[in-house]
Amino acid sequence: MKTVKVTIDGKEIQTSLDRTILQVARENNIYIPTMCYLTKVEPIGACRLCVVEVEGLDGMVLSCQEKVVDGAVIQTNSKALQEERQNIMKLYALNHPLECGVCVKSGECDLQNKTSEFEVNEQSFSLRDIKRKVENWGVISYDSSLCILCEKCVKVCNEIVGKGQLKVEPGGYKAIIVNTKLEDSCIDCGECMAVCPVGALAVNDFKYTTNPWELKKVPSTCTFCSSGCELSYEVKQIGIENSKEKIYRVTNNYEYSSLCGAGRFGFDYENLVTKKDEDEFLNAIEAFKKAEVIKFSSLITNEEALLLKKIAKRVDAKLVCSDAFGFSKFLRAFKKARGKSLWSSTQKKLSQSDAIVVFGSRIKDDAPVVKNHIAMATKRKKAKVVYMHPIEDFAISNLVTKFIKYEPGSEEAMALMLLQVFANKEEMTQDLQDFVDDIDIGFLSGESSISEEEIDELKEEFWKKKRFTLVVGADVFNHPEVENIAKILAAIERYTDFELLVIPPNGNSLGVSLICDLVEKHEGFSVGYNAPADYVLSALGDGDLGMPALNQQEGTFVTLDKRVVPLNAGLEYKGFILNDIANSLGVGSTHTIDFTKELPVDKGFRSIEFDSLEVKFSVDGDDLRGYELETILCDSQIELSEPDELPSYDGTVIYIVNPASNPNPFTNRAKLTSSEAKLIGTKQFASAAKISDGDVVEFEVCGNYISRVFKIDDTLKGTFALNPTFDMGLKAFDLPIYRFSKVKIKKRG
Amino acid sequence: MQRVVFSTWQGELIDNRNKPKDEWKESSYKLPLTYEDDLPSRAFIGWDGVAIFDEDIDVVRLACEYALQYQKYSEACGRCTPGRWGGKVLYDLLEKISRGEGLAEDIEQIKKMSQTMIRTSKCEIGKTVPKPILDLIEYYKDQFDRCILEQSKSKEYGKDSRYISKVTAPCIDMCPSKVDIPAYIEALKDMDFEASLSATRVTMPLAHTCGRVCPSPCEDGCRRANLDEPISIMELKRLGADYESDHNLSWIHPYKPEFPRNDGKKVAIIGAGPAGLSAAYYLGLKGIAVDIFEELPVLGGEVAVGVPQFRMPIEKYNKDIELVTSLPTVTVYTNHRVDANRLKEIHKEYDATLLGFGARLSKKVRAKNERTDMEGYWGAIEMLDKVNLWHKYRIGSPVSNELKDKTVVCVGGGFTSLDVVRCAIREGAKKVIMLYRRDEKTIIRNTTYEEYHEAVEEGVEFIFHSAVEEIIDEDNKLKKLIVNRFELVPDPDGGKPQLKKIEGANFEIECDYLIPAVSQALDTQILPEEWEIEMTSWNSIKTNGRDFMTSKEGLFAAGDCEYGPMTIVNAVYQAKRAASVISRYIYTGKLTLNDDEIMEDHLSRLKVYNKDEKIVGWMAGLPRMVSQKLETNERKTNNLEVNLGFSGEEAIAEAQRCMRCYYIAMVAV
Ligand SMILES: Cc1cc2nc3c(=O)[nH]c(=O)nc-3n(C[C@H](O)[C@H](O)[C@H](O)COP(=O)(O)OP(=O)(O)OC[C@H]3O[C@@H](n4cnc5c(N)ncnc54)[C@H](O)[C@@H]3O)c2cc1C
Ligand code: SF4
Ligand code: SF4
Ligand code: SF4
Ligand code: SF4
Ligand code: SF4
Ligand code: FES
Repeated sequence: MKTVKVTIDGKEIQTSLDRTILQVARENNIYIPTMCYLTKVEPIGACRLCVVEVEGLDGMVLSCQEKVVDGAVIQTNSKALQEERQNIMKLYALNHPLECGVCVKSGECDLQNKTSEFEVNEQSFSLRDIKRKVENWGVISYDSSLCILCEKCVKVCNEIVGKGQLKVEPGGYKAIIVNTKLEDSCIDCGECMAVCPVGALAVNDFKYTTNPWELKKVPSTCTFCSSGCELSYEVKQIGIENSKEKIYRVTNNYEYSSLCGAGRFGFDYENLVTKKDEDEFLNAIEAFKKAEVIKFSSLITNEEALLLKKIAKRVDAKLVCSDAFGFSKFLRAFKKARGKSLWSSTQKKLSQSDAIVVFGSRIKDDAPVVKNHIAMATKRKKAKVVYMHPIEDFAISNLVTKFIKYEPGSEEAMALMLLQVFANKEEMTQDLQDFVDDIDIGFLSGESSISEEEIDELKEEFWKKKRFTLVVGADVFNHPEVENIAKILAAIERYTDFELLVIPPNGNSLGVSLICDLVEKHEGFSVGYNAPADYVLSALGDGDLGMPALNQQEGTFVTLDKRVVPLNAGLEYKGFILNDIANSLGVGSTHTIDFTKELPVDKGFRSIEFDSLEVKFSVDGDDLRGYELETILCDSQIELSEPDELPSYDGTVIYIVNPASNPNPFTNRAKLTSSEAKLIGTKQFASAAKISDGDVVEFEVCGNYISRVFKIDDTLKGTFALNPTFDMGLKAFDLPIYRFSKVKIKKRG
Repeated sequence: MQRVVFSTWQGELIDNRNKPKDEWKESSYKLPLTYEDDLPSRAFIGWDGVAIFDEDIDVVRLACEYALQYQKYSEACGRCTPGRWGGKVLYDLLEKISRGEGLAEDIEQIKKMSQTMIRTSKCEIGKTVPKPILDLIEYYKDQFDRCILEQSKSKEYGKDSRYISKVTAPCIDMCPSKVDIPAYIEALKDMDFEASLSATRVTMPLAHTCGRVCPSPCEDGCRRANLDEPISIMELKRLGADYESDHNLSWIHPYKPEFPRNDGKKVAIIGAGPAGLSAAYYLGLKGIAVDIFEELPVLGGEVAVGVPQFRMPIEKYNKDIELVTSLPTVTVYTNHRVDANRLKEIHKEYDATLLGFGARLSKKVRAKNERTDMEGYWGAIEMLDKVNLWHKYRIGSPVSNELKDKTVVCVGGGFTSLDVVRCAIREGAKKVIMLYRRDEKTIIRNTTYEEYHEAVEEGVEFIFHSAVEEIIDEDNKLKKLIVNRFELVPDPDGGKPQLKKIEGANFEIECDYLIPAVSQALDTQILPEEWEIEMTSWNSIKTNGRDFMTSKEGLFAAGDCEYGPMTIVNAVYQAKRAASVISRYIYTGKLTLNDDEIMEDHLSRLKVYNKDEKIVGWMAGLPRMVSQKLETNERKTNNLEVNLGFSGEEAIAEAQRCMRCYYIAMVAV
């Protein structure tokens, strides 16, 4: 972009031609008032408060939308501007009740702030009142009489979430926001509410329970998936007598980042333990002492992972982590083949791609905010998005340009085909070239039941595209050939235009895999840390000894953007914690977070104190939280193999997946996100299993007997059913199987 | 010149009140003095002033009504604070004055509010609405004062008067189809591609097509040109359409198609080109039964079999076509040539018939020894039919069988000829020459700068100021051409320079093919002689250009067969209007226009775009975006689409240059 020189309020500034006046002003700490500007979306231009004057130009220019041109001399403040801005604020006040006393937003309301900034106190024009009603949108409600039609909600729902649920229903002064397609597709993510500058959009549950200014903000990280989104717990003491604190809500830096519904609404999953249970604590120490296996889930902090590692070494036990083991194998194999410890892409890069392949994930459920970044790419980059999966996802069909359906189990074949289609062979070693040339596409395409044309069309789909990202999801980690798949994907990242974005299977699977040396399984007495075992320590409160939940802990997580980000305790935990046990075993420290600086440097961690990890974003919204994990380089050795035979999945097949709104047993404890677990399948599945909608069915998954209501979903195709695990308690973290499995369905009764 | 009582239109100030009729000054604008037929209008009020035709009119009411109409039309806008609330305040205050309850400070309040609207509104509609109101307050102060001082109702308060308004924009007015350009551009700015497409389809069903190959007359009326360069209006249209087809979305209509009426009424359409398809679409949306009869085995008319794949990929055009044929009341009959007899049958059987058979006969170059049966003489339309039928449908055989390694000469200078030569290159011709009577500048004006240059890059040799005098054959096989050279001789009297043949400068071109692409004519065989259909002087079917009925009752015509060879957007416009007229005609037997159409015609006559207007509130100097094209060597041996279209960012940046020049105008009758 061409650089240009502009002068704003007498200050000479060098910038580039694609920046708006407002962006340049903000970068230079020059204040221009705005009501409808939201950094993460394209300018809205509804409030008109941001007008400025340009020398030599009649009229006023809209700074949030107008880009700077060379030589412009801009004035952001003058009597005339002030007058117009004040007039606009008067207009806002026109039909707004300004009954802040009873409004949830009071104290953090943009309208309230701006009316006082512009000293609008009297209503100088008057308008007849129009009666409007409050609409219920699910978790959220919309009060049109408070709405100032800034359109921020409309923008985020479309541009960030990719849903496009919200529209301005025109009608001049009677205009309102409507939630179209309400029933079937609002995903209750709450993005719209987060950006609403006034009290028009609010969580039903939060209304009138507290005043915003009484809440204490605790910046932290969402742990429910590996996006590790930034959030703050907003906390207050429950009452004057009751000194107990409670999380009232979750907010985030909505100007730059996003949350999904689980992260935003599933915050009250803490483990309420009132005191330290000394007796049980001693039992726990004993259990650890005799443990031959320590089992855990990867929904723990890096520091806890390190503690477990130290404890395991002390008591000479093996570490088993079912939900991260496959991924850790993937990571090792990937590193060896790639010559680099980590993948190259990030969510930000994904959002800037124009050619995207999603592979092995039901993305909108597995990683909702990754899906948001795909939506951003779709909208802003006109991205072509190829969704490769055995089950089509109707809910994101507006983002996907091509769906490629393959047979469950054929991920290895699919990866090979991608490699063959996109490889820049000249750069490969002769051996690898020969291997790629010899790939038997006919066989692979037959076995995975996709046609060779479909593969060729892939190349056409991305014709003339510039930035390629391959998103790889959890389906591959428990695939029997995960190591070969990892190597093929490494080859893809190395020898094609694609960069990889890998979605680790659980909140901190990446951190855990880097810190701990895991084994698949081990016999003998087992202690479980948030995992089923002979002796169980559980944050769900259902074990032998309670443990703090992640909203009660300090520590760090590693996100799929490869950043080490901080967690702070929203609530206090009164019982014993892992560090206490470690201390008893002689490997602990004063605080768990003393271990932050001891995370393994050879794995890319840095020797940094927990307290110096910051939560911040750049002016352009780049995530600068914590620090970036260093990518470790090594020799690259690519030796690939081709499958001789692919597994076949016929009959009734279930797919393990939790809905975005309720991803795990913790969110299932939270008031707004808990739900009934159902088996959701196709008509075909129903007839193959001889069941019908509403039946209670029974089946077995990985040794667990499960019983659920069956529901038919007409938008699904194939002989599949989606099976959630959020109601399984800790067992949900102990399913070391490929996500598709053939099951026998029995009708109960 | 028009007689008006008072006018401030476009800065003229005419005040004939209290003047003898013979001293009256006349307006220099084509103001709508008569509304329709013999219904006179009393006043016209709009973005650039107000004109009074009836001395007795109540201007307080007029101003109030104008503010009200703006309120009602806030559908087009209502998306910024000053516009949304300001308009409401203006109306409330004017209403109060008209009611006889106004106060002196209300006038001050109106002025203050007007200033805020003028300075800070999002689009021109909000910025311009106050202007004529302020004009009236200034020049008709007495009427306002009377209401306020005497606290009396204005004289037409509460009376039944009719006010008809319409929203337009300079670009909309210049677009033959009157596409709501600011709306589809605004939706792109919002990245709401579905809304963008549905805004386009209100008047333009063929969005994939007109977002690619429309010569974009709208851009000649883009106000942004007054500031720097016009918006790339045409190419922005493509984004909404491609979003629909790339994501395999279900059809995006401007509104939900009505239920089939099944009332026995049915309309016949001859020809499935842009005209026939568009008429079928808008009739079909209303649930009216339509049968289309098409001679060719394929649908789409000249855009399917004329415009080549590398400019208009058939997969994309087919989406527009399927949009139409997906409507439950639309039925198509292909391979169904309608001749004069069949037309008579159809006309009898159907409640109305629309002719949309185009102009598909290649005209001759008028050279000596020009015989269509000579081997090597090949009309442009026939040649392109063959090229397209093969590449797009695998019907027939490849034209490379004929043209490979041959020397091809094309005579032309318009769109068709450029397509001929560029196809000839792609079919492997050894040498391709274009002969044109005029110069390079004119060919660019007739087509587009890009297209001409793309042809040059691909290796077409252009010989300007030349024309074929004689064709030489051997045993009826074309061998060579004798070509005259011309020069431009300035007219000594200062008139247009004349083309004069240069004596003795003739030259010969040896070649295998001569493809005349000078123009096309109608195949009038379809018209029964005894109907004595009235024709224009250039031998196309004559209508009044407003309701599109021919001289034969119940027989309508639209597109190239009505206008002569023109453009897609022209065909779409005419067909849409005809469909609207037909939708009433089949029930009432009358030819009527609705208010919207009447206003549309008034505004076109008045002209909305003013190239001398000074732009306020925007900075000049943001470059117009240019989309990416394939490199010459990437494109000249294949049929891949040359224009890759805007990237997402380019489109948004371009959309953000658009100034949303909506205006509202109103007539009082
Ligand atoms: C090579 C070429 C390139 C062009 N490029 C452009 C361009 O880039 N942009 C642009 O805007 N315009 C372009 N045009 C012009 C544009 O194609 C026409 O203006 C437009 O197609 C006219 O539409 P229509 O429906 O009136 O007629 P047509 O498109 O000609 O359709 C008429 C249809 O009627 C059928 N028909 C004819 N006679 C009978 C009969 N007796 N019975 C049954 N069916 C019959 C025909 O087969 C045909 O399908 C181009 C034209 C040509 C020839
Ligand atoms: S939305 Fe803001 S201004 Fe309106 S009542 Fe609530 S706090 Fe007050
Ligand atoms: S909750 Fe999410 S999906 Fe629903 S309307 Fe708001 S932003 Fe859109
Ligand atoms: S609901 Fe809130 S965010 Fe949406 S337009 Fe109204 S004020 Fe703005
Ligand atoms: S669940 Fe994942 S996507 Fe949702 S807020 Fe938490 S980290 Fe972000
Ligand atoms: S700037 Fe936009 S609204 Fe104005 S004339 Fe041009 S295209 Fe139309
Ligand atoms: S911030 Fe620019 S219009 Fe609202």
